[in-house]
Amino acid sequence: MKDFHYKKSWLIALALAVFLVLAACSSDEESGASGDGGEEPDKITAWAWDPNFNIAALDIAKESYDDDIDLEIIENAQDDIVSKLNTGLSSGSMKGMPNIVLIEDQRAQSFLQSYPDAFYPIDDYINPDDFASYKLAPTSFDDQQYGLPFDTGVTGLFFRTDYLEEAGYSMEDLTDITWEKYIEIGQDVKEKTGKDMISLDPNDLGIIRIMIQSAGVWYVDEEGTNVNITDNEPLRKAFENYKAMMEADFIKANSDWSQYLAAFNGGDVATVPSGNWIGASIEAEEEQSGNWGVAPIPRLDMDGAVNASNLGGSSFYVLDIPGKEQAAEFLGDTFGADEEFYQELVNEVGALGTYTPASDGEAYQKENEFFGDQSLISDFSTWVEDIPSVNYGMHTYAIEDILAAEMQNYLKGKSLDDALADAQGQAEAQLK
Amino acid sequence: MSKVMESSSSSYKGHKKSIGNWYKKNYIGWLFILIAVVGISLFYFYPMIRALLLSFQSGMGSNLEYVGLDNYIRLFSDPTFIAALTNTFIYLLIQVPVMIILALFFSVLLNDATLKFKGFFRTAIFLPCVTSLVAYAVIFKYLFGVDGLINQFLLDLSLISQPLNWLADPVLAKITIIIAITWRWTGYNMIFYLSALQNVDKSMYEAAKIDGATSFQQFFYITVPMLKPIILFTSIISTIGTLQIFDEIMNITNGGPGNATLSISMYIYNLSFEYSPDFGYAATVSYVIVILVVVLSLIQFKVAGDDK
Amino acid sequence: MNKFKRIATYTFLSAAAIVSIFPFLWMLVSMTNRSVDVTQGRLLPGTHLFENLRVLFESVNMVTALVNSTIIAVITTFFTLLIGSLAGYGFEIYRTPGKDRVFNLLLLSMMIPFAAIMIPLYRLFGGVSSTVSFLGIDTLAAAILPTVITAFFIFFFRQNTKMFAKDLVEAGRIDGLSELGIFFRIYLPTMKTTYAAAAIIAFMNSWNNYLWPLVVLQSPENQTIPLLISNLGAGYTPDFGVIMTAIVIATLPTAIVFFIMQKHFVAGMMGSVKG
Repeated sequence: MKDFHYKKSWLIALALAVFLVLAACSSDEESGASGDGGEEPDKITAWAWDPNFNIAALDIAKESYDDDIDLEIIENAQDDIVSKLNTGLSSGSMKGMPNIVLIEDQRAQSFLQSYPDAFYPIDDYINPDDFASYKLAPTSFDDQQYGLPFDTGVTGLFFRTDYLEEAGYSMEDLTDITWEKYIEIGQDVKEKTGKDMISLDPNDLGIIRIMIQSAGVWYVDEEGTNVNITDNEPLRKAFENYKAMMEADFIKANSDWSQYLAAFNGGDVATVPSGNWIGASIEAEEEQSGNWGVAPIPRLDMDGAVNASNLGGSSFYVLDIPGKEQAAEFLGDTFGADEEFYQELVNEVGALGTYTPASDGEAYQKENEFFGDQSLISDFSTWVEDIPSVNYGMHTYAIEDILAAEMQNYLKGKSLDDALADAQGQAEAQLK
Repeated sequence: MSKVMESSSSSYKGHKKSIGNWYKKNYIGWLFILIAVVGISLFYFYPMIRALLLSFQSGMGSNLEYVGLDNYIRLFSDPTFIAALTNTFIYLLIQVPVMIILALFFSVLLNDATLKFKGFFRTAIFLPCVTSLVAYAVIFKYLFGVDGLINQFLLDLSLISQPLNWLADPVLAKITIIIAITWRWTGYNMIFYLSALQNVDKSMYEAAKIDGATSFQQFFYITVPMLKPIILFTSIISTIGTLQIFDEIMNITNGGPGNATLSISMYIYNLSFEYSPDFGYAATVSYVIVILVVVLSLIQFKVAGDDK
Repeated sequence: MNKFKRIATYTFLSAAAIVSIFPFLWMLVSMTNRSVDVTQGRLLPGTHLFENLRVLFESVNMVTALVNSTIIAVITTFFTLLIGSLAGYGFEIYRTPGKDRVFNLLLLSMMIPFAAIMIPLYRLFGGVSSTVSFLGIDTLAAAILPTVITAFFIFFFRQNTKMFAKDLVEAGRIDGLSELGIFFRIYLPTMKTTYAAAAIIAFMNSWNNYLWPLVVLQSPENQTIPLLISNLGAGYTPDFGVIMTAIVIATLPTAIVFFIMQKHFVAGMMGSVKG
């Protein structure tokens, strides 16, 4: 009796398994076909993440667009967009995917190369030469332009004019300096004012990225494929600078964004070397108006390094689904051609695009009261032109996690050679 | 697994009266579980089989190709994976026992009929697990920040001479994660024990008291054996939960400093979404979790089943 | 000695309560503060409560998200309890080796991280989208369905059924109740505490569920609370005062559900008779 039941239940389990395997295999066919369903959708959707920044920019673009467009702008956190896109694109069913999506430049190659058929080239809609040259490598693939370059992550050294003055430094003393000089000034400032020089999150190697791009290199070589760590002189130098900063005792450690903002909003640090977009957060603390200035970012002390770099920055992409022509046309006519639109963008949102013809406009020359009447936008747009172009490749974040771990070891006393060699080995193993 | 389950509860041979009757009931029993079986097959097993097939493939995004066992071999030489595995086991071995003992302890204290403010204590201790993860992460990052309240508190008590950098030190960061998980989930487990304790016959405790048993003896000889199915249940659930631990790490330390707090699930997430997507290798790492949970659950069933 | 034990108990429980509650107080205080104050860890109440609420309800679709989350959580809780308890009861009361084997198989489904099955699951719903549009991508039904049937609750109800007096089933049969009748008339009322605990957990899980709704729900009309909060923190300059306000509002429903169900625990104490 009992044996019989054993057999029966095994049969059921077996039947179930067979059914599931069949289901698993058969559903392969249903994918793929979707996506080019043909009919035009009644509205165009766009995904972006910052309501005060890139979403606001899309809104302005929509208003200044001459043709009629039913554009729905959907707000999603950046990480959420990455998860959603990866899930949707890899499942092969383009259901629910947007027509336009904003992607951070350092992630773009990973999407373009992972899902080559999912994106729609926009060469016919814009002239890539109109944009800052450093934006083109990350946004194109296979000689085709996929991304419409949006904002720049051009960096600057935001600093408290009052603190620096107290320590005896002016704008001039901070202009076109090296990181070594920066550290020296930092120690002096700490001594004289008691204020920390900078707030850093040990998990975020953003400052390393700023340093190496100013010397025109990245974690990968120019082809974007081979890991470039051990023989990467700028990276080596950046590590040394980072350690020197850590040991200089002028770091205010933070462990997340809110603490990072708190460090300068609370007046605890004297400088914020970051992308131009941090300006809005600095201006949020109105009481500090007039006490801030922006100098060019320090450079690495080596040949070929410039006082200009990039942190962050993103571009718009069109997905290859019905509505793509309409979407590309919209982007091309606004972000890709409209100088007036860019003036409005600066005035209303404070967003600095990378469309070079726009930089002669009057909005770019405006003085900013918060920053002691400095012509901030104009300064930034001058620096944009100097940003060295690098190929970010596809593995920035994977390599950076490995580097962050080795950085910890290096700070704890491991030799730089060993730390970098180990990082190189790990990265090569992981990214083969 | 099934063998052990038999010993822990009533046997199925007990109720049969006649063969025909038994058949009918057996058949009705299948109907009771039908929806669940179909649903789980569709929404879990089907995707799991897909994931299994994926684990033999590698490549970026949709450019996958079959690579046989390469992914499984790759695991052994992947230092990030080994770091994630080690961290996860550290969480498991420290956090799960601490939490279960704490939860049991709270529930027994709260089950005392003469205790005042019982409702308040119960609610307070349970409260952490109603928070959304975002809230919880923000709060913990703030509490354990360099200028955070924990440091201020320790400084005031002169337990430390200068602020600890909790989230930037590999060991302290792990401790922070363990504290965070324990803070959030102890009340959750306590509720299971409390609700089970209320199904336990009160007269057993009275009889024990009359026999002169101490609280400790009552705890070990009545409470623990009576709650054994539920303790087993929660420890398996917690083991599964901790092996899959993701939200806390993602939101509080993001795996850092370095890889010091990286968990297996966080690594899976990174492989799928943070880095250039390699869903094949990510699926392989997932199956490591499956294997680990199966093995650990078997051990737990064995341990719990044997001494009955 | 006994008095000492009393004091120790209260001290211990009070300490635990303070540790548990303190972060909530800080959240409440923070919802009245400006973003800058929150980032600086201000502990005193401010005057920005109404400003935060205004921003939240005017600029963000808080109401829609609340409605969506409520619909999803209530439906999910109801079906989770029904399906989970039916199966848990079925596995325990009608126990056979075959069912035990199926049960163990079902447990396996808890063991894989969700991130691993998310993509095939998405593909499944994507495939259905064109034919049965009401449960395709970007529908509440798609957000609900895979979360309703979980091995966890089957396991949970089965473990609790072990403490359920099996004689009651026999008594029901003698009274001429059908098998389903026994379940609904005898088992369900007896196991109130179990249902209450399960309801709290199911509601909470559903209310705070993040990853699956994130990928399957696309349009703003379908947004849920966790997605909304995630968006609030997404910009370069997030407003932490508003975020804290949203978090407090998001936490209220789960707290309320717990407070309501808590009474049933107490009532259930009498209700669940053993043997």
